[in-house]
Amino acid sequence: MDQGHQLIKDQLFFRKELMERIDWFILLRWIAVALGLTGTWTAYFIGYPIAIWPISTILLFCAFYNALFFFTWRHYRLFRSDDIEYYIIFAHIQVSLDFLSLFAIIFFTGGFFSPILLFIFFHILLTGILLSPASCYTYSVVVLAAMGIMILLHITQILPPRPPLFQNITLPSSGSLFDILSLYAIFSVTIIVTAYLITSLKVSLRTKGRELLRVSKELDASIIKLKALYGMVKEMHTCTDLRTLTDSATKNAAIIMGVKACSIKLLDDQRRKLDFVSAYGLSEDYTKKGPIDIGKSPVNLRIVKGDRFSIGCIDEKEAFQYPEDIEKENISSLICLPLRVEKMIIGVFCIYSGTPAFFSSEDVDFFSLMADLTAIGIENIRNQENKAWFVKKASHQLRAPLNAAFSMLDLLEKGYHGPVDPRQKEILLRCKARIKLLGEMVGDLLKIGIKRANMKMSALFDVDVKKKLREVATFYETRATEKNIRFQLQIDESVPTIRTDPQLLDHIFSNLISNAIKYTPAGGSVSVQLSMDNKKYIVFDISDTGIGIPDSDLSNIFTEFYRSENAKECTEQGTGLGLVIVKEALDGLNGSITVESRIGKGARFTSRFPVPV
Amino acid sequence: MNTKSDILIIDDDKDMVETVGTVLEMHGYAVRKAYNGKDGLSQIEKKIPDLIVLDVMMSTDTEGFDVAYKLKNHELHRYIPILMMTSFPKYMAEKGVEKFQHILGENWPVTEFLEKPVDPDDLIAFIKELLDEKNP
Repeated sequence: MDQGHQLIKDQLFFRKELMERIDWFILLRWIAVALGLTGTWTAYFIGYPIAIWPISTILLFCAFYNALFFFTWRHYRLFRSDDIEYYIIFAHIQVSLDFLSLFAIIFFTGGFFSPILLFIFFHILLTGILLSPASCYTYSVVVLAAMGIMILLHITQILPPRPPLFQNITLPSSGSLFDILSLYAIFSVTIIVTAYLITSLKVSLRTKGRELLRVSKELDASIIKLKALYGMVKEMHTCTDLRTLTDSATKNAAIIMGVKACSIKLLDDQRRKLDFVSAYGLSEDYTKKGPIDIGKSPVNLRIVKGDRFSIGCIDEKEAFQYPEDIEKENISSLICLPLRVEKMIIGVFCIYSGTPAFFSSEDVDFFSLMADLTAIGIENIRNQENKAWFVKKASHQLRAPLNAAFSMLDLLEKGYHGPVDPRQKEILLRCKARIKLLGEMVGDLLKIGIKRANMKMSALFDVDVKKKLREVATFYETRATEKNIRFQLQIDESVPTIRTDPQLLDHIFSNLISNAIKYTPAGGSVSVQLSMDNKKYIVFDISDTGIGIPDSDLSNIFTEFYRSENAKECTEQGTGLGLVIVKEALDGLNGSITVESRIGKGARFTSRFPVPV
Repeated sequence: MNTKSDILIIDDDKDMVETVGTVLEMHGYAVRKAYNGKDGLSQIEKKIPDLIVLDVMMSTDTEGFDVAYKLKNHELHRYIPILMMTSFPKYMAEKGVEKFQHILGENWPVTEFLEKPVDPDDLIAFIKELLDEKNP
């Protein structure tokens, strides 16, 4: 199949060459006819006794068939056929007609002694260029035969020569047979040598052409592979967890290397077992049999020690822990390479082919590049996950005792452990409020920590911004109503669904809305507006009739733990982190925020972020 | 209520178990307590509770989910309602479950999911609702 494809590609390449030459030949023929007619008629007017009419007729015949060729070629391109055969036949017709015309002209200008005889060499050269070596030799033999016959006709006087140019030459009919045969022999040798030289030259050029074609194809293939590798790295960069990353790596590696299957196994903490973290093109039976004990699998042991391993034919059964499974998967050859981060080996990357001896040493080198890039990707994700894990764990460990303490105080306050008097109840309520604030602060710190460590904690989703805002607003609307605050929500329906981290939107909406409600006294109002700016930006605007922010504090409100004096007087509840979170969430969305405020009159926060392309 | 509903609390935080236990007992439920996943499962083996209150992070980060998935894959235990409580922010805990779904299938193993601290009145309301759904 591949070979056939190759042949067709070769043919297309040489067909193009042939087509260009046919164009060139038609042009050459126009020039030849023009020069021939000019020469003939000049000779005629000067007074040479030239056979003007026969030669002119022959040249006009040439012009006629050349016009026919030109027309057929230009307008029909030989019925636009892809088959190179048609082009070869076309070339043969041209060459044959040219030879025929040339023979006729030679006959009318002196036969074997015509100076036009030399033109035969051009024709042999042209035939050699246009057609195959075999055709070139065949035409040479035809030429020799034709000239032989012409000499025979001269000698036998069947067709007496008409020497129009060199009338003083003693004609061979009166010369010796030996002389004429010697001339013929020299002529023959010259023709054959010309044919030989031109065909050798042509064969050598064609070999070079093929070589060039092969190199260019190899280059094309390398470029495609490199592009695919670039795509693979780009895709890996967007992955946010180990599993999607390794799945993307195995799938891409199998496709790029043109193999049926690929797998990634990673070493466990004790470095004794290899776990399948991703497999592409392998059956579940193969991957679900659990971790591979490297002590029992010499192949994997070698790779974990840093060897490259490629095998063209699976017959070293003792090298594998499960040789029968490899057979069952129809694996005939494989490459396994260590996944290496600097000097540390973290796992094994394998590709499997169903064809024996499928891989070349270039394949091993290229796959090794892929393995190195994948290892870096894996290590990167692991680092992120470790950081994320630490922050999560720390957050949980901090919150757990707070929650227990809060719950116990709650029971005490609600009278589960006996009656409490109003003074005690008030103190318990205040304790609860402080603990709750501490819990919120832990949560807020965690959010900032995640952002600052640049952890890709969550994957991107298609988020309907309108819906997200409605959800958050519904939650806070109840709080506003309880506090007797008028809550207005206005949403522009043209705000689109965007691909983003929904948590960021949540942080922005909930912090700004809860702040507005928190710092607006009863009877006031909070107005929320979501709109589009120039179809490129989403604008979230919130204004309240609350306590406002003093001018002197405006520049500090996005600083950690900063709370303006009037805010502290207003309520104890506030972590001083809410606006920091908003600012950092907006940074995450490439957005910005502006504040306008008049003390005692209210505040207005306007956030803008671009619709991701 | 003719017979007391039997509720099993699984949490490694003793204070939390005591607090939830007090609330439930005050509202007339029979309470059993387990301080880790293994103990919880063995208590379920002995007698199937009407409802389980389950913590997420115990000795391992996902012990609660491990217990929940084990129950969901068990022929007899899969119908026990599970009320999960966690000190994690809820969204983070749910993300943990997304990771699990790769391995354990799409079945969300938990009937209700609450973020600690849970208000006692809310807790009772949820438990009543779950038990009513189970025995309409």
